[in-house]
Amino acid sequence: MTIKLIRDHGQHYRPRMACLKKVEALVIEMQDPKSGVKSFEQKRNATSIPHVIAGQDITAWITSHMTVDAQEAQALGTMLVAYGFIYPLQDPKTLILRPDGSLYRCQTPYFWPAQKWKAQDTDYAIYLAKRNIRKKGILDQYEQERYRKLHKWLNHKWDFIVNQAKEQTRAGKARMKSDRVVFSYQERAYWIVHRPPPQTHSAMDYGVDRLIDPNAEEVKGEAYTLIWCRVPSVLLIVLLSCSSSLVKHTMTYQSHDPFLTPCLPSNPWQTDDDTYWALNMPDVDLPTKMTVERWSYGFYELLRDPRGRADFRLFLKKEFSGENLAFWEAAEELKWGAASAISEKAETIFKTFLAPGAPCWINIDGRTMGLTVKGLQHPHRHVLDAAQNHIFMLMKKDTFYRYLKSPVYKDIQKKAISPAPHNFTDAQLEQNARNRKPGLYPSVTWQRQQKEKVRTTTLIDIKKLMANKLDRQ
Amino acid sequence: MNRWRRSVGEIQARRRQVSECEQAQAALGKVIACFQQMTTCMGSNTDSSSLREELEETRTLAHRICTGLHRRLLALLVETEQGQEDREQVERLWVLFLCCLESFQQDLRRVSTLEEIFPLTQRKDRQALVNTGAVGGGPEVAARAAIVKMPWVTGDGEQRPDMRGHVLEIDGLIQEMLQRVNIPLWSVEPMQKAWAEACKDGQDEEDTLEAMMEVEVVSQANRAFGCCSHSNCRLGCIFCLLN
Repeated sequence: MTIKLIRDHGQHYRPRMACLKKVEALVIEMQDPKSGVKSFEQKRNATSIPHVIAGQDITAWITSHMTVDAQEAQALGTMLVAYGFIYPLQDPKTLILRPDGSLYRCQTPYFWPAQKWKAQDTDYAIYLAKRNIRKKGILDQYEQERYRKLHKWLNHKWDFIVNQAKEQTRAGKARMKSDRVVFSYQERAYWIVHRPPPQTHSAMDYGVDRLIDPNAEEVKGEAYTLIWCRVPSVLLIVLLSCSSSLVKHTMTYQSHDPFLTPCLPSNPWQTDDDTYWALNMPDVDLPTKMTVERWSYGFYELLRDPRGRADFRLFLKKEFSGENLAFWEAAEELKWGAASAISEKAETIFKTFLAPGAPCWINIDGRTMGLTVKGLQHPHRHVLDAAQNHIFMLMKKDTFYRYLKSPVYKDIQKKAISPAPHNFTDAQLEQNARNRKPGLYPSVTWQRQQKEKVRTTTLIDIKKLMANKLDRQ
Repeated sequence: MNRWRRSVGEIQARRRQVSECEQAQAALGKVIACFQQMTTCMGSNTDSSSLREELEETRTLAHRICTGLHRRLLALLVETEQGQEDREQVERLWVLFLCCLESFQQDLRRVSTLEEIFPLTQRKDRQALVNTGAVGGGPEVAARAAIVKMPWVTGDGEQRPDMRGHVLEIDGLIQEMLQRVNIPLWSVEPMQKAWAEACKDGQDEEDTLEAMMEVEVVSQANRAFGCCSHSNCRLGCIFCLLN
């Protein structure tokens, strides 16, 4: 009896594997005596085992049957081999389809991968024991290691495992010699797929078990559901609201997604050339056209990108309304900063922005102002939330559109660079890999950011400015 | 004196029952192994309606052994208390029986799925069977399963359940067994040591089996191993981003 863990947080379902059913249908079509793949016999030591197919025949059949080109047929064929529906005879541990005369055979449906059940450890232990019975010392190093571990974990079942191994060997001996060879091929292929040798990748690997049973009936509704998967470093929150807004979002951001569109000039992870990162640094002079386009998608995008924020600040400086952005930034700093500095920051903000007669007085409605001032007597992280939101909406509805039409923005749009895509040859790629150097230390970038902040937050004192103007007149 | 004689008689009767159960357990193991060998032929070119019939017969046999063994083991567990000599053996048999049931249930589930994918009701279904290279396989193994003898006579005319019902029945049986009897699974010590099954006899015959499995590797000009023509690719799989 298998000892089951209780503390798995409810995650014990395998995900949907819809591809398996489709591949099954394809393999069944391959068996058609008239239009399927042609097979021949394998001759070994005066016995001949039928139903061997060559790699090139498989690729040719897929190309003609599914009307795809040769490269895609090759990829599809490799998928068939990787999932274990077809197994190679000559190099059993490498699960790819070679489009030459290499020999393959179809796996029996008992050993086909299925979504509903996993390959069990008990069966693997029985398989290893069977091989041990067949010939002592035949197990590979990693198999011996696994045998030892299974002996430790499945200790209470060990009698059953050995008994079954012996009985299955004896039952197998009742069959013909060629059938026994075929069965041992099939078993070996099955376990190479489901318990891959070290440093190889199994196509059946799906990460962590899921929380929701995909085979259970779905409750369809319009409300949005939160799907939380306990993947170690990433929190995936998928909002399933009405699909049209999702479609619109996807269409807008499609060209900015490095998985869907290759990023210009080239993806540094693939080509080891970090021009892309250098062009997108926050303190760069001329941003790329993609970045500038992204600023126009929404006000928050503009504020989020440090280069965009700098540009917006420049525009506001020309318009003499920089206090809104300064207040927003100060409120952000209060919200995300250290708890010990809250009261100090709150006081400076009050003196600079909110007090009547302050140098950079922001224009918010009376009710919000009253609430904020009252809250500032006992400051906490979120005292300025109401005022900050008000200012944000103000900037978004009014200033943002003026910015998009302004000469500042149009200027930067014209000047933005659009880098040409790199086309590295293999030799150049190797050269790049050799010339990899470590990037900037985060401390260096942080110091630069601080210097930049000091330079730009010299707030324009409105009173003094007006006083100067009056004086001149 | 009488009491002593009666208890000796009791002990002997119990020993006989325990050895009966052990024989039944061995028989069950044999039947399950044969069943598994036959199910590997399902869906392949050696599949036929006679194979399906033999599978049904083997399943019936297993069902009979299971129910009988379950009843007797339960009775023995109720009889023997903790600390008596036979108790350990009965507990061991209990755990082994649970393992057999679980393994058998898995095979039954697979069989019912395969029957859905490959129904042999029409002639054209035979075209869908997968060519696996096997030639025979059903009849010999079934014959081996059929000669398994149960150590007791079943006079009961028990009904043979159909496939789905059988799976659910075993499920219920396992649940009931786990709830009713409180034997922790890890308290059972196996009698076999690790690596003990590898022994000298029968190896000469198997050497030829291994030799037959070796097929010459078609020599490749450039590639050692790799899934694509990229020179940096060392992966033996399709999930390679270098393409």
